[in-house]
Amino acid sequence: MAKLPFANDIKTLRFMAAEMTQGDLGDKVGVTRQTIAAIEQGKYSPSLEVAFRIAHVFGKPLEEVFHWQGS
Amino acid sequence: MAYREKQAWLTLIPMLIAYGIYFPMSLATPRAPLENLLLFGIIAVTQGIVFLTGMVILAARTDVASRKPDERDRAIARRGANIGYYLLMTGMIIVGVIMPFTKSGWEISNAALFAIVLAETVSTVIILISYRRGWNG
Repeated sequence: MAKLPFANDIKTLRFMAAEMTQGDLGDKVGVTRQTIAAIEQGKYSPSLEVAFRIAHVFGKPLEEVFHWQGS
Repeated sequence: MAYREKQAWLTLIPMLIAYGIYFPMSLATPRAPLENLLLFGIIAVTQGIVFLTGMVILAARTDVASRKPDERDRAIARRGANIGYYLLMTGMIIVGVIMPFTKSGWEISNAALFAIVLAETVSTVIILISYRRGWNG
């Protein structure tokens, strides 16, 4: 699998948000727990809508959740 | 493991067992068409029962929200179906356009069945790999 050109801080943000579980975050953004786990591990590139929904849950702008690392 | 991934395993394993039994039996001994049809019927119905029973048990053990496919499930399913489609088309062209000139009867039927099983197997394996190793669309 090709490595994604961006990383994310979802795991840290979940921890800071009262140790929110992957399942809780999944429920809030409308995806399964397994999909949140895949996004955290860089195994799945979410749609723009889901990326915005995740950022919205944490009350952060998109670029504080996802960081571009490509060239 | 995601619900859809479990479904894929449930599709793959009974299918491989069923047709892993059917094809060697069908090819090893020449049978009358009706006998071969009966063999196929028994194998297909057994596979169907095992699959449906597994699906019912799986559904009963999974909450409703987790059963609904999300965008990742749909993307992975599309990838599997896309690759399976081209395999199936190739198989059907061989079976429907080329084989009638040289073969007949159960040879054509079995070749068509093999193309379907192969396309479904590859499609399901692609789905399982996508869940295990990741898929970035």
